Amino acid sequence: MEKLTLKKKGENAGLTDSTTHIKQTPSDIVFNVINYLFFGVFTLSCIFPFYYIFINTISDNELVKSGAITLIPRGITISNYISMFKVNDLWNSVVVTVGRTLIGTCLMVFVSGLAGYLVTKEEMWHRKFWYRFLVITMYFNAGLIPWYLNMSMLGLTNNFMAYIIPGIVSPYNIILVKTYVESIPGEIEESAFMDGASYWTIFRKIIWPLSKPILATIAIFGAVGHWNSFQDSLILNSNSPELFTLQHRLYIYLNQSSNLGAIVASGTSSTDSAAIAGAMNTKIIQYTISMVTIIPILCVYPWLMKYFEKGLMLGAVKG
Amino acid sequence: MASKSLSGTGEYIPKKREVVKTPAEKVSDILYWILRSAIVINVVALFFPSFNPARLSEGINKNLSLFSCGVSYDSIVVNLKRALKQEWVSEDAFALIFYASLIIIIAVIIIAASGCLSLGSHKMKKVGLAVTLGGGVIEAVGLAALFQAHTEIVETTLPNKVDKILLLNAEGVADPDYLPPAFILFIVLISVIILLSIVNFFLVPRSMMGEGFSMEPKFQLFLMMLPVIALAFVFSYLPLYGWRYAFFDYKSGETLSMDKFVGFDHFTELFRIPATRRDILTVLKNTLAMSGLGIATSWIPMVFAIFLSEIRNARFKRIVQTFTTIPNFISWVLVYAIAIAIFNTDGFINTFINSFRDPAVDTLASENYLMSNSHMWLKMLAWGIWKGTGWSAIIYIAAISGIDQGLYEAATVDGAGRFAKMWYITIPELIPTFCVLLLMSIANILSNGMEQYLVFSNAKNSAQIQVLDLYVYNLGIGSGLIPLSTVIGMVKSVISVILLFAANSVSKLIRGESIV
Repeated sequence: MEKLTLKKKGENAGLTDSTTHIKQTPSDIVFNVINYLFFGVFTLSCIFPFYYIFINTISDNELVKSGAITLIPRGITISNYISMFKVNDLWNSVVVTVGRTLIGTCLMVFVSGLAGYLVTKEEMWHRKFWYRFLVITMYFNAGLIPWYLNMSMLGLTNNFMAYIIPGIVSPYNIILVKTYVESIPGEIEESAFMDGASYWTIFRKIIWPLSKPILATIAIFGAVGHWNSFQDSLILNSNSPELFTLQHRLYIYLNQSSNLGAIVASGTSSTDSAAIAGAMNTKIIQYTISMVTIIPILCVYPWLMKYFEKGLMLGAVKG
Repeated sequence: MASKSLSGTGEYIPKKREVVKTPAEKVSDILYWILRSAIVINVVALFFPSFNPARLSEGINKNLSLFSCGVSYDSIVVNLKRALKQEWVSEDAFALIFYASLIIIIAVIIIAASGCLSLGSHKMKKVGLAVTLGGGVIEAVGLAALFQAHTEIVETTLPNKVDKILLLNAEGVADPDYLPPAFILFIVLISVIILLSIVNFFLVPRSMMGEGFSMEPKFQLFLMMLPVIALAFVFSYLPLYGWRYAFFDYKSGETLSMDKFVGFDHFTELFRIPATRRDILTVLKNTLAMSGLGIATSWIPMVFAIFLSEIRNARFKRIVQTFTTIPNFISWVLVYAIAIAIFNTDGFINTFINSFRDPAVDTLASENYLMSNSHMWLKMLAWGIWKGTGWSAIIYIAAISGIDQGLYEAATVDGAGRFAKMWYITIPELIPTFCVLLLMSIANILSNGMEQYLVFSNAKNSAQIQVLDLYVYNLGIGSGLIPLSTVIGMVKSVISVILLFAANSVSKLIRGESIV
């Protein structure tokens, strides 16, 4: 409903735009030029770094080392990516990160969906209290160190589960789902209730399918959050290199100044080792791993674009 | 508002029959609350190292909970490798501890599940109590096994190694008869649970004919919600228990005891010790400066949105919106990777300058812009703007598309120009949204996160870049000064909450609605 009205207004805006388009004063033209220029430059600053890193990873390594690649790729090859995937440390991190993203997101979406539905039910025992109990956690936290001590008391240090369990309950996402479920006409649910369906059946057969848009939104945002997470790996799993996430691995590599080639190569078989250390320098390795880390985000980006305006609007009306 | 459409659901719930409760039922209700409390305590005790009845030897880590004991045998014997190798004590006893812990965990899970049944109909209650009783008996067996393990440890320990293996009693002497207080606690709990489940079994009235397993909707919903509540409790409320470290002299790996209690010493330390005081002042200055700069520039996304809406070309608009939002979705580590790619010694700027220079004639540019410590606050602000503006503008773009077009048409008729329309229509319409976000950022003035500052910090700029969150991290995780960093975190949390409430009341005062 809200979306429809918005769209209509947007069309109106288009109409008035085209009517006023006829009379353009010189000052209008100057304004437009400056405006287009500003946004052009800003947009360029947002994409150029990615482009620059990318062309340096697919160009001939000798040219990159001599600093010859600035704007156009030359001597295109994907050998850097192939050698990167021979590095065991990196593989490990990719597996850990993909694993936590898949498992963590699925659990979070399911729990947010269920909890978001349950908190709309007025007949729940002390619903208001439990709802506030959840919401308060968004605005208050005990601090980093008590959180860390708590996690270590629960045995969630140097443990893969430390990535999954704390993220399952996300109050913000529960609120988003709640707001969405409230917008579903109550009659659908009532008719199912009349037919004797249990809460669980109603959730599974009615609420879950109907709230797919919001669930998709929180799934994508949750997945991006998991993919980007770095602090939990840094703080909780610092003694288990096999559990480092991709971002943490990248952070470590970015802080290695000179002998990164040798360090990375030491994690591969002896034949690959020499080849990698010879062909790539610190810069190329850093760029390649950066690209490996960015590409999945860019892949889900079209879906993000599709959903985020909707998700944000819902957040804005939460009140 | 929308929730009203759902409240009709309530009418479809079968009305509760008004039943007068017998005295026996009233007593059973009271006993039920005691029973449920005992069960909750039993579940919670599973996760607290100080309530671990399985710590039957001085060699078992003090920070181990019963749950960890039952999950991994290695965690029990990790400090006892040498003792077991040289056979100071029988290893069977520790295997027994592991199995006993596992049995207790399973029993507690059974008891907790059956405790949930106590919210149901009479029939469900009866079944629930029977299961509770069964679980209680299993847990008692587990405790008995623990006691057996204790006996075995006492009997098999070599006399000259008693000090290293046996538990120390309250006086700090190895005592073969000493059992941990948690063991007594568990015996009390399990006695209460067994006793009350037997008594209640007879007090709960016999189920009527045709009464099945059923539960009132309010309890059904509550039980479905319970796991979520429990997780929120464990990960958001339980850390508050860690605030106690602020009042003790604690070093990593030790246990807390009352003789290390120092009261508010760590709080006064913030002012007392000159070095700490100086650090705190620098850190506060950085935090407030960078948050302040962020707040001072918080109009940028609004202006960005207003000017973007002036662009007529829909495709260009779409492209700008798409690409300026990307930086918001990459992590700060990746932003740092980009910073390296652009500003490092062999980054874009230097290679670009050098591409116009002849290595034989000119000196090549090789400045590392990331290593300088000048204008750190402004640089951090610039990265923040680069990353966040496109994303923050979306909320304003949405708001602009919601403005009544009639206002603009009327203004055009009245002869208002482009800027007049922006100033007198668009901005006033956006101000409420702006105010909410501004108040929120004022409430968050102390929490600017640590990730950005951590990745950009290096040996040269650490004095200019260290913000409160990063300082707490460096102090607590880096240097292991847990009490002091807890104190700082505590003070920060409390101030943040006060600021949030203040911002909320300001919002209520001005706009008549709350922001939280």
